[in-house]
Amino acid sequence: MASAHSDAQVSETAEDRGWLTGDLVFFCLACTAVTVFAGLIQVSFGAFTMTIEQAWRAVFNPQVVFNLNAWEAFMFGTELPEMNRRSLIVWNIRLPRVFVAAIVGASLAVSGAIFQAVTRNELASPYVLGVSSGAGLTVLLTLVVFPSVTVAIPLLFGTFTFNTTSLLPLLAALGGTIAFLLVYGIAWKGGTSPVRLVLAGVIVNMVFQSLQRGLFFFADDLGVVQSALAWITGSLTGTGWEQVRLAIIPATIAILLAVAGARQLNVLLLGERTAQSLGMRVERVRFMLSGVAILAASTAIAVAGIIGFFGLVVPHVVRIVLGSDYRRLVIGCVFAGPALLVVADVGARLALSPVQIPVGVVTGVVGGPYFLYLMRKQESMGDL
Amino acid sequence: MAQRDASHESDHDRITDTNDVAVESAVVADELQLSYPSSDETIVDVARLDVPEGAVTALVGPNGSGKSTLLKGLSNHLAPDQGDVRLWGESVDSFGDKALARALGVLSQKNESPGTITVEDLAYHGRYPHRGFFESVTDADREAVERALEMAGVEHLRNSEVGQLSGGQKQLAWIAMVLAQETDVLLLDEPTTFLDLHNQFKVLETVRQLNERTEVTVAVVLHDVAQAARFADYLIALRDGQLYDWGPPGDVVTEQLLADVFGVEATVEYEPELQVLPRRALPDDRN
Repeated sequence: MASAHSDAQVSETAEDRGWLTGDLVFFCLACTAVTVFAGLIQVSFGAFTMTIEQAWRAVFNPQVVFNLNAWEAFMFGTELPEMNRRSLIVWNIRLPRVFVAAIVGASLAVSGAIFQAVTRNELASPYVLGVSSGAGLTVLLTLVVFPSVTVAIPLLFGTFTFNTTSLLPLLAALGGTIAFLLVYGIAWKGGTSPVRLVLAGVIVNMVFQSLQRGLFFFADDLGVVQSALAWITGSLTGTGWEQVRLAIIPATIAILLAVAGARQLNVLLLGERTAQSLGMRVERVRFMLSGVAILAASTAIAVAGIIGFFGLVVPHVVRIVLGSDYRRLVIGCVFAGPALLVVADVGARLALSPVQIPVGVVTGVVGGPYFLYLMRKQESMGDL
Repeated sequence: MAQRDASHESDHDRITDTNDVAVESAVVADELQLSYPSSDETIVDVARLDVPEGAVTALVGPNGSGKSTLLKGLSNHLAPDQGDVRLWGESVDSFGDKALARALGVLSQKNESPGTITVEDLAYHGRYPHRGFFESVTDADREAVERALEMAGVEHLRNSEVGQLSGGQKQLAWIAMVLAQETDVLLLDEPTTFLDLHNQFKVLETVRQLNERTEVTVAVVLHDVAQAARFADYLIALRDGQLYDWGPPGDVVTEQLLADVFGVEATVEYEPELQVLPRRALPDDRN
């Protein structure tokens, strides 16, 4: 009797249909379409005027798209092959900014989603947990105190030289990790709780932000102050292939790890005690997944500065559409993040043309009120 | 008859109940002392405690007597200050985390999940200890989940979202998750506390049936001693973190116990069946 009718139904379970349902695929396709469309708008306008047709033709210029030398130049920084002026502007100036926006958007969204599961708190984000301010502080330190120091390490064959700026993601990750460890340490009391984590995050944030502001007084010229300010608000102005090269590997690693860890995140959402009685080493898993989230956030911060509200709002938007299953949520974030950030950056670059505003201002101005609206609409907020 | 001689029990590996019937224990706690990291106070201090194999054991006691703490200790969620807990003769420490979760299922008192998760997906989480990091769902997982849903009586709710269920249905959905773990021992922490009478019975009947069908060993914390007396094969009565008495309900539940442990004056009737009729609260300073 125990299994009399269980066999008949086995083939129809939800787990069989899988989490890869039609609405997830549709959502991802829609996001991709938005990303591509916003990206095309982004490359069509700018100081160098060309018609939309010319711009789009340049984007799909086969001499660039199918040119290995060109891709080598983009991805490894070797010398650019000959190409016409429009292609050069589109491919070397406008498109990489779109790619950076996409990478940063995906990283921040995934980072926020992980932090929200790890702390079981809907209000968690890299910003709230101190990671952003920690990473921001080390980035500022690098810019103000050691601006562009070139380090040369002699190797067996030739010399390996690098600039401190190329170490920015690493340094940002270091700062983010230190800040997060501080937050975790302060919140730790034989275990952590979501509320203590967020409170500790607020405190560490305040301290680190004060330090950031303090650093401005040590900047000796206005240019440094301006670029530092762009950092703190989060800006994609002037980003190019160098930033793509910088961010793409850590971002990819972080995203793959997040997708792989989605089931662990789901179990974490059941609460610490349940996760523990299911045989999970809760603190260890929580810590490792936090590491993934820090990596993703730091990567984004290293190339684009502190873009406020993004890591908080995007997982919410995706959760409303796709539900709270992290196998779906993480993938949704990987697609929705780029779509929303590329759109926001179109606004930042073109809305007040010729003046460009930092994209962090756009996400703050749009994301803040939207988040308020969500808060008013939803009855319960806070605990996941 | 009320206070049993604790040393008499700890001398033997196999213990006998008051009728001198030998009892095999699935879980044994030995000289167990438990406290929380945040304070020095010892919450639980028992010389020996047995959860008999294949039976339903109810832990009873007033608020703050250490029932839940004891359950945390038995499930290795709380490291003991002293003593140890053995599962079929092996210390729970020697089990890996997932191995322990395959042998011993625990359902906490209050459970929270994302409201949008379906009952079926929740049950699949019970398979966590059976799956490796990159492993996908196997046939064994599917069968276990189907059996669990059926035994918990929530098959018809499989696609409902947990957030939309009533308190009783929610509790049964969580029980389905623990059942999907397919453990030989189940520890349930006050599964009936927040439920109305109908659902209390439903949950207890489910547990009872489960025990009869699969011979799973159950230890359940109940705060209603009358309910526990009717429902369980064995009672463990706790007072101030110490074992007050242990045995079949008919032996353990006495007017003396109700006065000593629960602080109520009550009439206990043994015929035609065990019945507890609480009369009034005894004054607090009776000791």
